Amino acid sequence: MEKTEIILQADGSFVERLVSERTLNVGQSVLDTLTENLNRQIRNVFNLPGWGFVHANVGLNDTLWSIAIDRIPLHARFKLINQVLVPMFASTTDIEMPLVWQVPAEVKVVFVVCTKQEDDIVSVEGNWLFACDADKRGYRLPLPNLHDDCRICTGQFEGDQENAFECVKASLEQFNQSKWNADLMRTSEQSQKFFRFQPTKDSFETLPIQGEWTGLCNKISTALWERVVT
Amino acid sequence: MKTITVKYGVDQITKQVEDGFTFGDLQDSDTFKAALGFGDNTKALVDGIEQNRDTIIPAGTTVRIETAANTKA
Repeated sequence: MEKTEIILQADGSFVERLVSERTLNVGQSVLDTLTENLNRQIRNVFNLPGWGFVHANVGLNDTLWSIAIDRIPLHARFKLINQVLVPMFASTTDIEMPLVWQVPAEVKVVFVVCTKQEDDIVSVEGNWLFACDADKRGYRLPLPNLHDDCRICTGQFEGDQENAFECVKASLEQFNQSKWNADLMRTSEQSQKFFRFQPTKDSFETLPIQGEWTGLCNKISTALWERVVT
Repeated sequence: MKTITVKYGVDQITKQVEDGFTFGDLQDSDTFKAALGFGDNTKALVDGIEQNRDTIIPAGTTVRIETAANTKA
């Protein structure tokens, strides 16, 4: 198809432009190259019982699954300081308890699973834990077992599954039952202001974060975080 | 002096720096760290390509700072 455009330029002169268009029969490899860095976001792909809806960011080589979680299982050692129970990740003597920290309204915590498919196997490539604010600024929570880029040091678990649903489920089961230790620990001061519990008659109530929560975390920015669907 | 724009996540800042200002200088700069909130373990990218710390940042460049991965302590 050919068309002619007449352009009136700023200096008052006229220019004729001939435009020729034809459909190119490009191969898949050309399309793959052109779309290499394009990712597609899909919300609410599936619902994981007990956790909620899982969103996807589909890339050419992998898929990122993200789920906003309302709690962080903290299987760690704790100590009572001034009637407040706080984590003692580096301790070997304080009491070990499987407490559950309820995420407060002002913080959004997102658990992320990266999967890759090869033949009939879907593999977990990694798990990440991010916190974010209302403007989608990413933060690293003041927890041990988290790398600077918020990748979780998960330990060994069965990461090869039949499908992505099972990968996300297995990752969250591992997250749910893992113990937090002192690996990759920074200062305990931020952790103890962030994760606080009040012993009640028959349970442990999550207390508000002491101070501005973003000030207790490290702000992060990574290519992977940019892909997370919140 | 030259002007550069630095992005970190959703935040960005445009600032004048010395002519010889390098990507390493930017990554170590307390001024940029305070303004954008990045830490010590970073990488600097231009158009998605990681830059060498010793390279002088060309005038008018937009630099994206990203948190780098670390190895297990």
